[in-house]
Amino acid sequence: MNAAATDRGARERILAAAVERIARDGIDGVRIARIAMDAGVSTSLVHYHFETRDALLEQALEYSYELAGDVRLGPEGDAHNLDSVGRLAAMIDQFLPYPGILERDWILWVELWLRAVRHPDMRPTAARLYARMREWFAEAIADGIERGELRADLDPARVADRIIALSDGYGVRVLFGDMDIEHARSEMWAALRDELGLPEQAPPKLDPDGAPE
Amino acid sequence: MSPRPRLDHVRRPELLASAAAVIRRRGLEHARVADIADEAGTSAPAVLYWFASKAELLKEALTSAEEGFYENLADELAEIDSARGRLVRIVDSAAGEGDYDAALWMELWARALRDPDLAATRAELDGRWRHTIADVVRYGQERGEFGPADPDEVAVLLASLLDGLAVQIALRDMEVTPDRVRELALRLAERELGCELLEGARC
Repeated sequence: MNAAATDRGARERILAAAVERIARDGIDGVRIARIAMDAGVSTSLVHYHFETRDALLEQALEYSYELAGDVRLGPEGDAHNLDSVGRLAAMIDQFLPYPGILERDWILWVELWLRAVRHPDMRPTAARLYARMREWFAEAIADGIERGELRADLDPARVADRIIALSDGYGVRVLFGDMDIEHARSEMWAALRDELGLPEQAPPKLDPDGAPE
Repeated sequence: MSPRPRLDHVRRPELLASAAAVIRRRGLEHARVADIADEAGTSAPAVLYWFASKAELLKEALTSAEEGFYENLADELAEIDSARGRLVRIVDSAAGEGDYDAALWMELWARALRDPDLAATRAELDGRWRHTIADVVRYGQERGEFGPADPDEVAVLLASLLDGLAVQIALRDMEVTPDRVRELALRLAERELGCELLEGARC
């Protein structure tokens, strides 16, 4: 193994440890020394890769989002031959805090909100992540319209805004245990159904291999 | 006899407002009792006379700021006769036209993930938010302004949408302006309640 590969490995271990720690202790409570210990590296190596706490948080968020993205998109992306309705349902499911990677990503997301509200220099990171989500949904909706599977008079950007806002609002309530995740899922579907011309019931949730659970 | 702190004229409500101001500025993590005392023009012992601990002070500061929001909103709603007007006011209050305080609210949410006391506070305040909306829906249904719908379900739906949009407003996401929030929320409410809300038309 060459030095660059080792370096990449250490950086990734630090990020993986940071994601776990931040989800458990919060960004304010987390200690860099603890992350270093979890990652099996020295504190100075953490500081070498990430100059500031904000830099570490920002990159941990990106890393978590990418990990969750692997769950979100599936290893083969759109290889499951879903129609637009099935695809939209699968996308919504990936924005709810289902136990595991998605729930952990959600906790980091709430930390990002707080951090970005308090530190204006974190806002571009938040804006970039939101823009990426918005594009992802808007593209899927535009594609569905093109295929004739969703209503032609939809404004993809507005529908995307609504889906993201609803998933943030319902997701946080699921995270706090106010409501059951399946209830949140069906309420979201009901709220989008008429406008998008979707079927009465959401398609069943897919497991990570793309098969109905 | 031990020296007693001078209590001056400073009382709990002033201290809570000062604590909220400090949390807003520095974040809860870095809010110190000494800063709060400075802000209120009193001494740290005087602050601690009224509050058993820093944790209690911060929790009450967060709660009272939120309660202030709901009380103001309730006063404003009481002065509006039509249910439609009341619902529009609720949407505007979340769309940034009011003294809605995103920084404190985010502190509460993030802390509530790990602190059972603050989780209970959050749940209580969220209940108030949803009840405020559900009451307006019931009021509109009684007056015949709104169509049939489960007021509590509509309240969760609208509260969720508004909270989600409020996050993006708080993050100063340029795509999500107060006008956009108003349009998205009122369109959703129109569909749920079978009532024109956006164009100023009658129900």
